Amino acid sequence: METDLLNTLVTEAIWRAEELEALGIRPASSAWEDVSRIEEQLAKALPVSEAQGRIARRGAVDAALKAGDYDRAQALTDGYLADEAAPASLKAALREILEEADQEIASHFQHAAKHHTPREARDLARRFNEAGAFGLAA
Amino acid sequence: METVAFYSYKGGVGRSLLLAYAARYLAAILGKRVVALDFDFEAPGLHYKLKFDITSDPHLLAGGGGSVPYLLATTQGFAFPPPLEEHMVYLGHEDKGGWLRLMPAGPAPRQPYWAVLKKLGDKLRLGDSSGQGFMALLDLQARIGDELKPDYLLIDARTGVTELGGLATTILADTVVCMLVANMESLQGTLAVIDALKSAPRLANQKPVRIVPVLSRTTTETHTAGFVQLARDRLHEKDLTPSELPHDDLAVLEKLGFLWPLSQAYIELFQRLFPSAIASGQSTPRKNL
Repeated sequence: METDLLNTLVTEAIWRAEELEALGIRPASSAWEDVSRIEEQLAKALPVSEAQGRIARRGAVDAALKAGDYDRAQALTDGYLADEAAPASLKAALREILEEADQEIASHFQHAAKHHTPREARDLARRFNEAGAFGLAA
Repeated sequence: METVAFYSYKGGVGRSLLLAYAARYLAAILGKRVVALDFDFEAPGLHYKLKFDITSDPHLLAGGGGSVPYLLATTQGFAFPPPLEEHMVYLGHEDKGGWLRLMPAGPAPRQPYWAVLKKLGDKLRLGDSSGQGFMALLDLQARIGDELKPDYLLIDARTGVTELGGLATTILADTVVCMLVANMESLQGTLAVIDALKSAPRLANQKPVRIVPVLSRTTTETHTAGFVQLARDRLHEKDLTPSELPHDDLAVLEKLGFLWPLSQAYIELFQRLFPSAIASGQSTPRKNL
């Protein structure tokens, strides 16, 4: 019953996010965050041995990236990869989603990517969020 | 390419002016290829210091050129950014084989500039967990290096403790010129920033940042009051020796608006800042007024 409701919600949420994105409306990122959170609930409700459970796990990570929340995508991926019951195909797919996101950033910032990796930039962003400009707020 | 960021904790210390003189000295006297980049987005004025009239460039004047429009273009969608040259102005100085290019922030203080800056504020988020905000700025620096191949990139970093000032000094710069004046407010703020610069993480392929403190606008009064000595002592505690730029020298240069003649204080500072350029460039004896 719960998964039926979640499936309905996630279907609506995906439709909403896609339509917002197609219309170029800014809050599309928050719509994708909704998708990611519903997918996460589905992933909790469905075992990884089921195809729907694996789809939900991939969907949670993918939607987090579409929401621009790389930290969340990474945290979800780390959790799913740590699940011993997760099949190798799912683990490979999750890693691939993150790698594709990196490649997209690297292809857009080709000059920076010759010298620095998106991971380095993310580390800087994380530190910036924690400690502010110059690290003075740490 | 060596990147030198000019930073000051407080405004009014002659930071942009020093950058402008350094840029012209490197290009005109030493024959180096120099890009001057205005990162002081909230109060841009490097084009004034380099004597460039924004109104002479219709593209810039309409808000289509400069570092702010460039960064906005790179952060809007994934289209490849427009040619760098559309966002720069060429300032010549080819006599000795060098050149000077300026990337102004934009046509400040005109309305189109502030409109573009507002848009950029919504788009360029350094805290974006994807790292795209940092990548956009690193990409601009790397692109300047790849396409223009300058010897020096001189960045006018924002005064105070700001996101861009922090980035320009802790991440983009090989050398940070930390300018201060001889009063407690300026000194204590600068010392805090110097501590932060020393402990700031660097990217994998970067050396530790070189910090060059510059005590500017010193006068007989500030010497007599002991502020200059106090600043020296406090900086020595951090293993740093300040260069000193007397107020009169700066004032005279500002009034004349010419690169030449430079006072001995400037020449000594530039020798300290750009030792490899001095070694490879033509050594020029000082001319007198």
